[in-house]
Amino acid sequence: MIYSLYIFDRHSDCIFRREWHKDSGKKAGINDDMSKLIFGICLSLRNIARNLTDSDSFLTYSTSQYKTHYYETPSNLKLVLFTDLLTVSLVNELRQIYETLYVEYVVKNPLQTTEVKTIDNIMFSMGVDALIQSLPGYA
Amino acid sequence: MGVLSIFILSKAGGLIYHKDFGFGLKKLNNSNDYLVIAGTFHSVHALTTRVNPLNTHSSGLLTMEMETCTLHCLQTLTGLKFVVVTDNNQSNVSVVSSTIYEIYSDYVMKNPFYTLDMPIRCHKFDRALNQYISTVE
Repeated sequence: MIYSLYIFDRHSDCIFRREWHKDSGKKAGINDDMSKLIFGICLSLRNIARNLTDSDSFLTYSTSQYKTHYYETPSNLKLVLFTDLLTVSLVNELRQIYETLYVEYVVKNPLQTTEVKTIDNIMFSMGVDALIQSLPGYA
Repeated sequence: MGVLSIFILSKAGGLIYHKDFGFGLKKLNNSNDYLVIAGTFHSVHALTTRVNPLNTHSSGLLTMEMETCTLHCLQTLTGLKFVVVTDNNQSNVSVVSSTIYEIYSDYVMKNPFYTLDMPIRCHKFDRALNQYISTVE
């Protein structure tokens, strides 16, 4: 089960947020303040991973209830995906979202200013929906 | 070599024990950096209980996967955290961390000269831990 996707830019602002299966839970568990907490968690865990190993960041972390997948691009764009515990690592899919959707529809958009404030691009959000819903672990 | 490193954190987030095994991890040249890692981990652990897409009760961070190794955390009922870093192929880590907890109970908690929440300097604990880790495959 895939719950939600967050994208943060290099100024640590949340520029994209999308939730799936909203009705299956009681309420959407994550609100605006939460995105700041999520960013803080990912940044701190990334720094721990950098200190302990030679790699650039961590791949996933899990608690007793959910699993979080993390991918960071060289330009410090951060993609964070929340899923249930049964899902295998989706870091490659996050890279695919960046390569085939973000770069194509957001970066190459001539109307897009260089600093992306929020992604309100229908091609991008439709593409993300299609990609996530095609994954075997979606439902 | 399965287990790469062990951190023990007091319930306030202070690092009370740290030991590396083998050469799988980067050596930090400043021992303060390990204190920082422990403190950061303690606060991230608290945050991960709050951030929950399901709105149900969740434990804190249990495992964190990295490219070369995996970090596992066991939080005891008393708030102590046992953080065990292993390579990615290590199985049964929950057994390893609870055995380390057992060794801690036997050689640290039963040591009459040990003050709670202070850094662990007990030779018998060191010896028992080394002996146990060398048997972990």
